[in-house]
Amino acid sequence: MALEILAYKCKKCGELHYPLRMVCRKCGQNEPHEFDTVPLPKRGKLLTFTTVHNLPPDFTVAKLTLGIVELENGMRITGQLKIASPRIGMPVAGKVEVVREADYSKNYGMVFYPA
Amino acid sequence: MREVYVAGIGITSFTRLEYPLSEIAAYPAMMALKDAGLSKVDHVYVANMASGRLNHQTGLASAVVDSLSLTPAGATTIENGPASGGSAILQGFLAVASGMFDVVLVTAAERLREVNNLDATDAVATLTHPLAEYIYGVTLPSLAAMFTRLYMQKYGVTARHLAMVAVKNHDHALLNFYAHLHEKITIEGIVDSPESMTNNPYVAEPLRFFDCCPVSDGGACVILVSAEVAKKLGKPLIRLAGVGQATDTHCVHERAEPTDLLAVRGAAAQAFKMAGVTPGDVDVAELHDAFTILEIVESEEVGFFKKGEGHLALERGETRLGGKLPINTSGGLKAKGHPVGATGVGQAHEIVLQLRGEAEKRQVKDARIGFTCNFGGFGNNVVCLVFKRED
Repeated sequence: MALEILAYKCKKCGELHYPLRMVCRKCGQNEPHEFDTVPLPKRGKLLTFTTVHNLPPDFTVAKLTLGIVELENGMRITGQLKIASPRIGMPVAGKVEVVREADYSKNYGMVFYPA
Repeated sequence: MREVYVAGIGITSFTRLEYPLSEIAAYPAMMALKDAGLSKVDHVYVANMASGRLNHQTGLASAVVDSLSLTPAGATTIENGPASGGSAILQGFLAVASGMFDVVLVTAAERLREVNNLDATDAVATLTHPLAEYIYGVTLPSLAAMFTRLYMQKYGVTARHLAMVAVKNHDHALLNFYAHLHEKITIEGIVDSPESMTNNPYVAEPLRFFDCCPVSDGGACVILVSAEVAKKLGKPLIRLAGVGQATDTHCVHERAEPTDLLAVRGAAAQAFKMAGVTPGDVDVAELHDAFTILEIVESEEVGFFKKGEGHLALERGETRLGGKLPINTSGGLKAKGHPVGATGVGQAHEIVLQLRGEAEKRQVKDARIGFTCNFGGFGNNVVCLVFKRED
């Protein structure tokens, strides 16, 4: 089964959120857990990016490229990029992979490749 | 609401300090009490961001109030990320303005250099969203870098403009005894020369070493009092005339326009409104230049310059000492240093010095209205303050 990152859809007004928040940003509906989960799209275009050379000590790589991607449905996500020469506006496609390992736990997140 | 005045100020050098954290908070408080001529206070606020994680000490205010022998005065620690200092001043303001207290001591301290720089970077990175940002390796420099790339594309800001902020603030810091970096830098050395990539390597592209503030230890203090107390002390009357605070989405990617810093805009507008002045009335300002781009963008968002034109004012030298509106006369976070939780109080310290006319070689002539912007997270929690000289 393909791994997904979930968006949160307000049960009252249908507004999509990522990441999860407790109260809907659009309609303010205030009942606990009144969100449906919907997988985020995987394809989009690169909004901005950076290559970080000073990472927190639990990373074993010397540098890492990060970016913000605008997905097909207009939502945005921050993720890692495995793209040799990224440029603003380029089409990208994401996969859910391990992005950080710390204290024996694996964190999964979105990693983008050229589309 | 009562009027609130600054009666005393104190500061440590911003650098690597080999003292316990509670001493870094207490020392500027002792200087401020002496400066004000006070020995008793009604309440103590201590601003700090990361003592539990970096220094294995929590409940800092309890340690500091006792170390100052000010017990049984109430004491409260304020943690609000890099805006801890500004937030503590805002709480002190509310306490005096409400009539609850007449004398409030607001001190602040951070000791980041107790750990290595990567651990310090990681501690600050915990400000980001735990699941949607932090796990990817997002740090504050990386958020600033992604923001800078968009700003460069949209408004024509260049690496040279960023370097101009660094050169200016390093020049200012040379005139400030308490600054972390006493180091003259040039555009040639950090941008133009063939050695510039060695002198000034990338931290998070397009941001380079000299676009980022140093990792500093340091403390600062201001004492806030009612008008009645202030008038008895015989010091220059500096009023904390306006305060403002605003927030924005925790995740940077959720902001509708990613080149806007709406919390800066909102906090500044509130502070100016309360003070009854406009951005054009300001004589001297301290902005939160943890990264060079932030000085440029904040100078626009608070209303000094039009959106997208801050770098042009910088080019014209308007924000230098001697210019129309000197920004970061202390050296700013860039060169004075950035002891994270103490920075907001450090900014207020500089503005009070300037309004009193005690800023020596970096004095802005006849400064009467000063402004500070203390920027928390990547712009998700911002405190702005307006100070006025009244005598």
